[in-house]
Amino acid sequence: MAFKRKEATIEATDLNAITPEDAEKRIIAGVRKYATNEANWSQADANTPFLGHIIGMGIESSNLADITMSIERQFLTKKTKRVPLSEGSSEFKLEDGELGKLRILEGQDATAATPGLSIKMLVDLGHMPKNEAYLSKVVSFAYVTSVGEGYRTNDALKKLVARIEKLAGPEKDEAKANLKALCDQAKAYEALIGDAAAFTASRQKISQNDKAAYDSLRQELSVIEDKIKGVSATNDAERLASLRAEEAEVRTRLRMSAQKLAVSSAVAREAAERTPVIQAKIEEIRAIVRQSLQEAERALA
Amino acid sequence: MTLDVWDVASLRLQRWLSLLATYPLYAFIRVVFRWRFGYRFSNAREFQEKIWKELDAHDGPLFWAANHLTLIDSFLVFAAVVPWRKLHRTRLIPWSTPEYRNYYHLGSWPKKISVRALMYLCRCIPFLREGEDEASERWRKNVFAKCEWLLKRGESVFMYPEASRARSGWLERHRPKDFLGRLALEVPDAKFLCVYVRGESQLYTTAMPRRGETFRSYGRLIPAVLPGETAPRAVAQRLFDELAELQEEWFAASPLPKNCGGNDVLDLKSPALAEHFDAASGEMDPEWAARHLTGREMKSLEAVAPGFARFAEACKFIAAKEAAHKALAQSGIQTPSGAFRMLEADLFRKRIVHLPTGARFDIRFTHEDEDKIHCVAVLRGGFIGDDETPGDVLWEVAEVPAGQDAHDFARGKCLEFIAKSSDEIPSPALLAFADEGGIPKVLLRGKVQDWGVSLSHSGRYAAWSFMIS
Repeated sequence: MAFKRKEATIEATDLNAITPEDAEKRIIAGVRKYATNEANWSQADANTPFLGHIIGMGIESSNLADITMSIERQFLTKKTKRVPLSEGSSEFKLEDGELGKLRILEGQDATAATPGLSIKMLVDLGHMPKNEAYLSKVVSFAYVTSVGEGYRTNDALKKLVARIEKLAGPEKDEAKANLKALCDQAKAYEALIGDAAAFTASRQKISQNDKAAYDSLRQELSVIEDKIKGVSATNDAERLASLRAEEAEVRTRLRMSAQKLAVSSAVAREAAERTPVIQAKIEEIRAIVRQSLQEAERALA
Repeated sequence: MTLDVWDVASLRLQRWLSLLATYPLYAFIRVVFRWRFGYRFSNAREFQEKIWKELDAHDGPLFWAANHLTLIDSFLVFAAVVPWRKLHRTRLIPWSTPEYRNYYHLGSWPKKISVRALMYLCRCIPFLREGEDEASERWRKNVFAKCEWLLKRGESVFMYPEASRARSGWLERHRPKDFLGRLALEVPDAKFLCVYVRGESQLYTTAMPRRGETFRSYGRLIPAVLPGETAPRAVAQRLFDELAELQEEWFAASPLPKNCGGNDVLDLKSPALAEHFDAASGEMDPEWAARHLTGREMKSLEAVAPGFARFAEACKFIAAKEAAHKALAQSGIQTPSGAFRMLEADLFRKRIVHLPTGARFDIRFTHEDEDKIHCVAVLRGGFIGDDETPGDVLWEVAEVPAGQDAHDFARGKCLEFIAKSSDEIPSPALLAFADEGGIPKVLLRGKVQDWGVSLSHSGRYAAWSFMIS
């Protein structure tokens, strides 16, 4: 295809020849043009979310794939040899080969929500050597999303308090009912994220739902396999072909369902692990929410 | 079409044999449901009391008409409606018309024979849905004739008015199917037993409900044909309206959100988006396209002339998927961010399928010009609307004033829009935004509203939508 990227040529670097900190800097620099919140982008670190406008870099969701593509363009890896997952399969995994262009396969970037998590993804996929000291500073995906939720709740709370101050009469009373509901929500959030066991249980529930969805799809596949078995005994070639197409479709869906389950299972697993960095982030957002709650209580009085 | 003597004799034999098997089969179904799958029926007693008061007063033919979400719905509906003490009302035990190709060639010979025997004893008359040839047509006519013959003798027939499982998990009243209306007009003294049964965690169509599921049921008995009704569509529409009402009752008592809609706007002149399109060659970045589009979508895109048209078409896919992603999140189905290829859009049919679950959305492009594309998507809760019928989704698209935060602008405008769309909300000050797991929710008088609110912004534009169903 004639397409040529209009940006300046980037000199790609071998991921094994740079430190995670350097890679992190390059990742942040690489997404600059997609970041709509320049202030947050310029202060970004390993744990700054790519998405979101409050603490994130403000990258729009339509540019999500650009983050991955930007990472791919900047780095080289030895994991370049394509090995089919099974004989005749178009799906493949990457194993050690010649140094070449980094390639992140479908679904592999599902939890790379921050520069630090992007580094973790590269480490997990074997593109970079493991650096425990760096990874210990990275907030897990489970907590990046949950802390982000806290900031959004806090933002909603503060904005409503500010609006209420400008209102008067019955409008103010009605708006106070909303503020009370938001306070309840913020309190529930603060209590949940403060309780490691309850938080883990809530994430496990999501994972169980995904597991149920995966199992249900397996059932669907087994029904189709049964139909194929039954029709194979007849001479209905047209019906057999249609069932085979249906089977292929459900297998694709099953693969995607497995990807989705892998993400929620990882979140459920990570939810149980609170490193000092994560704990600090949790305490930080809890303190922020508590302070906003106090302001809200004053506005309600 | 009239039945021949063999058809009649075979129906009589099947009826007689199924009568012998009624109690053991019922016990079998109950035991399997309870002990193998852990199914429970939460409001069974009150539902059965109510429905049997009406059924006991009806001595004529009966159509069972229910919503359709899983492959075992016929058994679930039967178990929900019929208690042990009513099994003697044998004329109310329905005849069913399962699709022949789905159920009569399942697995190895022993399995096939067992399934066929079970279906026979459960009063099933195999139906052939596909096929335009004469034999298939004759088959269908014969099944309809059998149903008519049974109904005219005061028997009951079970049919799904939607004809197949609702892929969105939502019975859509604006898309009635006429076949049941046609049949009802042949038996005007019949009644419709409208039943809505759904598992509390049944988000979308599945092969089977999940283990340990709890079902809640609603139902009503209504006349099949009202005086003056002569058109199958009128009968079918009334039936769909009734089932839709039952669906509303079900969702009113459910923690599941009913309205699941989303919207997305794309600024086609946004530099970050336009960089994937080479204006000179008219080509799109294949790497970028491959990360957003499925093989089927790529194929359909190749049919569009290279240049802006192809770029705009690709952006329509992205906008549709983003809108669907938001609707999906509202329904409780989490999809990883950026997983564009988990959604597959068919722009011609205006549909999107979430591949991991098979959940199906309706989409509608409300703005398509050189500057922007705006799309709304609905999974459930209401009608998306078409050229003839206004939908249940309201939306607005506007340019973000210079210097204003697009996010705050969209939120403020959305509340204004909701307030001006309702007679009961005099001012947007009565509304506020909350966030539930990343999903925007609107509060009114301290209560979270099930409005399927969705916000979007891209480049110069912001958009917002909500559902009024």
